[in-house]
Amino acid sequence: MGRVEGSLVVCGQCGLAHRWQPLPETSQARCTRCDAVLARAHRLSIQGILALTVAAAAAYVVAISAPLMSLSLRGGAETATLMQAIAIAWQEGQQPIAILAGITALLAPAAFIGLRLYVLVPLAAGNKPPGFAWCVRALHQAARWNMVEVFTVGVLLSLVRLAGLAETSPQAGLFALGALTALFAAIESAGLKHLWWHVQ
Amino acid sequence: MSGAVDDGDDVYLGCESCGLVSRDVTGDDPGLVQHCSRCGHVLHATKPFSLQRTWACIVAAAVLYIPANTLPVMETTSALQRDEHTLLGGIHELWLDGSWALAVIVFIASIAVPVLKIGVLALLAWTVRRHPDWRRLERARLYRLIETVGHWSMLDVYVVVLLAATVRFGPLASVSTGAGLLSFAAVVVLTLLATWSFDPRLIWRDPPATPTPRDGRRLA
Repeated sequence: MGRVEGSLVVCGQCGLAHRWQPLPETSQARCTRCDAVLARAHRLSIQGILALTVAAAAAYVVAISAPLMSLSLRGGAETATLMQAIAIAWQEGQQPIAILAGITALLAPAAFIGLRLYVLVPLAAGNKPPGFAWCVRALHQAARWNMVEVFTVGVLLSLVRLAGLAETSPQAGLFALGALTALFAAIESAGLKHLWWHVQ
Repeated sequence: MSGAVDDGDDVYLGCESCGLVSRDVTGDDPGLVQHCSRCGHVLHATKPFSLQRTWACIVAAAVLYIPANTLPVMETTSALQRDEHTLLGGIHELWLDGSWALAVIVFIASIAVPVLKIGVLALLAWTVRRHPDWRRLERARLYRLIETVGHWSMLDVYVVVLLAATVRFGPLASVSTGAGLLSFAAVVVLTLLATWSFDPRLIWRDPPATPTPRDGRRLA
């Protein structure tokens, strides 16, 4: 399933219309005017994306609930989970920061996974879920606000910065974040517009 | 590969949400709103009030950039002393500690990316009105660059939140967030909103002032 040869594709970056011609495997079409990527040839199947999304859901649960890193100093030890870090920022009077971190590292990834599961499970069975158009638009927004990859690097950076001060070690949550970053990159490579090709 | 379509004055609108292409039927009437026939998303030739919204966000971001850099983003307490760290001060300390790679990463994420975003968006928004046919392809590439790197400036916000959450050993050693962090987070959000408000299709609007032979043929 895919685009029909000769149908129109409009460049999202400059608005120029192109007549579609099939792509060779693993190549990408670029806009003839502004050189932005119009489409990529290789796409995952609905079942493939669904499998990656289920894996991402598992990684997400571990990433938000397990400790990200631990720190020990003269007998005392501290661990931090993502939820705790947000809660501490809130208690310290930095509510806007806590909300921003909560949206970008907690809610947007949850919506990214949850809405995809809601859409992909019926699609894999050949049905169109209720509210499909709204879900696809919400998924665009979730992808914009999802900053899991930045947060992962932030955890690594914190670990390195603390290494001079105390004994630090990465914990399960950090590995789950790494897996989540890779899974999100793979899922996002498929884009969202192709979901409409599976709906009549 | 795909070839560009030259259908004269017909304007095609691509749906941002589902990708379906529709013919623009609103003409020049700004009161008419066209929706995608497949998914119902609003179709625009260019985003409404794109330049105004972009300017509003970058001016606000530029103003808040001052407290973001002068106020401390982080406060550290140890057995010996209590210190306040600004963004640049933190980078300087990393550099003095010998963590050059780390200092460079934090410098790029916290200083270079926000400045780049504000500068590039101001340039793009200004040239749309003043120099519409100046280096269009390069401007389009610049926009795609800041769209890609934009959210990395959140890095330092996360680092301070994480340090404040883990370094909690009372008077022995503790880290808390500073007043500057809120301004910096606001700069990050405002530059993101500015990037999303700007419509890159504006770069390609308005044909060149000196008509090319092809334009001449179309007018005839």
